[in-house]
Amino acid sequence: MPSVSTQITFIVVGYAVLVAVLALVVALRKQERPGWLDQLAWMLEALLVVRALAGLGAFSGDGPPSTSTYVGYLIASVCVLPIAMKSIEGDRASWSSVVITVAAVAVGVVAVRLEMTAA
Amino acid sequence: MSESITAPRTGPHKVLLAFYALFTVAAGARALVQLTTQYDEAPVAYWLSLAAAVTYALGWYAIREASVGRTGFASVMLWIELAGVLTVGTLSLVEPDWFPDASVWSDYGIGYGFVPAVLPVAGLLWLRHQKRAPSPADV
Repeated sequence: MPSVSTQITFIVVGYAVLVAVLALVVALRKQERPGWLDQLAWMLEALLVVRALAGLGAFSGDGPPSTSTYVGYLIASVCVLPIAMKSIEGDRASWSSVVITVAAVAVGVVAVRLEMTAA
Repeated sequence: MSESITAPRTGPHKVLLAFYALFTVAAGARALVQLTTQYDEAPVAYWLSLAAAVTYALGWYAIREASVGRTGFASVMLWIELAGVLTVGTLSLVEPDWFPDASVWSDYGIGYGFVPAVLPVAGLLWLRHQKRAPSPADV
């Protein structure tokens, strides 16, 4: 049975892929960015916060092999999406959805790296 | 908001800016961690990673400037970035001894899904389109 944080990582990665694909589909259809896409992105952020809190558990015992790398990924995992959403604030054109795709893929990769550097 | 006055609200540059910001942080954090914690393992590779991070930061600024019509800096910066990726990528293949550990641009950015090789090309294509479009600064 994988640890709780590993299970959350699976959910985060799967959900990040879903958000990335949906955002790309919206962009390819040249639609304005719908409100529900923003909500999906913020739900992904909420999951990342939960993952980051669970990730603090890695500091118990011996801690991660490279603390600075792990902390870097931990901080990046929760900062990327809010910054991306801020950069497209007030811009609902189709290109803004591609920014969500890029950010969702990025946090998915960061979540995997976080898992790899935890132990 | 001042941004809506100085920069066009939307366009492909938003995606380029997102990539450049991400790579500035990714390459910069990686370089700083490796330079400070394992400097002796592969100093050349780590310094080149830091150079890549600086290039991405300047690239971000260049694209932001180009998006409001000031394309001069981007015309230089994106070519420098492309040259950097190609040079470091080629060196990592022909002189592997210089790279005991990977750099950001090793093997043309294989560690980042070759995005580092695609990014300057995408940037230059956007810039060509941008130069043809009427500059908001002139209007």
